[in-house]
Amino acid sequence: MFLTKILAPKTVARAHCDLPCGVYDPEQARIEAESCYKIIEKYNASNDEVFRARAIGIKEERADLAKHHIDVLWSDYFKPEHVQKYPEITELCWKAAKQCSKVKGSVDIADAKSLLDMIDKIADVWTKAGGPQATRMPKAVAARA
Amino acid sequence: MEPALRDGDWLIVAPLGGAPSPGEIVLARDPRQPERLVLKRVASVQDGRCTLLGDRPDASTDSRVFGPVAVEDVLGRAVFRYAPLPRLGPI
Repeated sequence: MFLTKILAPKTVARAHCDLPCGVYDPEQARIEAESCYKIIEKYNASNDEVFRARAIGIKEERADLAKHHIDVLWSDYFKPEHVQKYPEITELCWKAAKQCSKVKGSVDIADAKSLLDMIDKIADVWTKAGGPQATRMPKAVAARA
Repeated sequence: MEPALRDGDWLIVAPLGGAPSPGEIVLARDPRQPERLVLKRVASVQDGRCTLLGDRPDASTDSRVFGPVAVEDVLGRAVFRYAPLPRLGPI
């Protein structure tokens, strides 16, 4: 164990190639961001210190998940042709990922709202780039009803 | 970068000591986000700028997305993998 600790690399680099399953949807990030929004609401409405401590912990987790989903969209889904057609996407994803970090450390509802708005802007580009037709499997009609 | 590199490989990265050459795998800063380090293969070097490409074009985030990388942002070359043991050896 000790030896492994000494030998373990100090720096992590990404050489990641995803297995391109092709399923991508900004909704994943939005659901996590909505959780952050609601948690902040409940945090601010509560006087229970234990509840507030739990809320902070869970919000940090959700903000991390939102960041992960944005990172996957940006680095795995959006391809050079998308970037060429919608050059704003790089900055949108970059800012949204940074906003996730802000929400992680904030209990200001405005920060969570602004993250939701940023994810919606990413979703607009995702829709223009093909949206669910390009990246999701159709649901059975009965399941949709 | 599979199969050349796999998730979780432990690598020794040596300082460049000269310009990177096409074909080698280098450690570089992502120009969009300098604290994000990437390992990619050098495709070409021209006028102090490197084009870095992943080995799997359909799944790689590389110079096609983040553009060429300044040679100063290429920090070193991956020379040796020391773990996991069954994959021990030069890169």
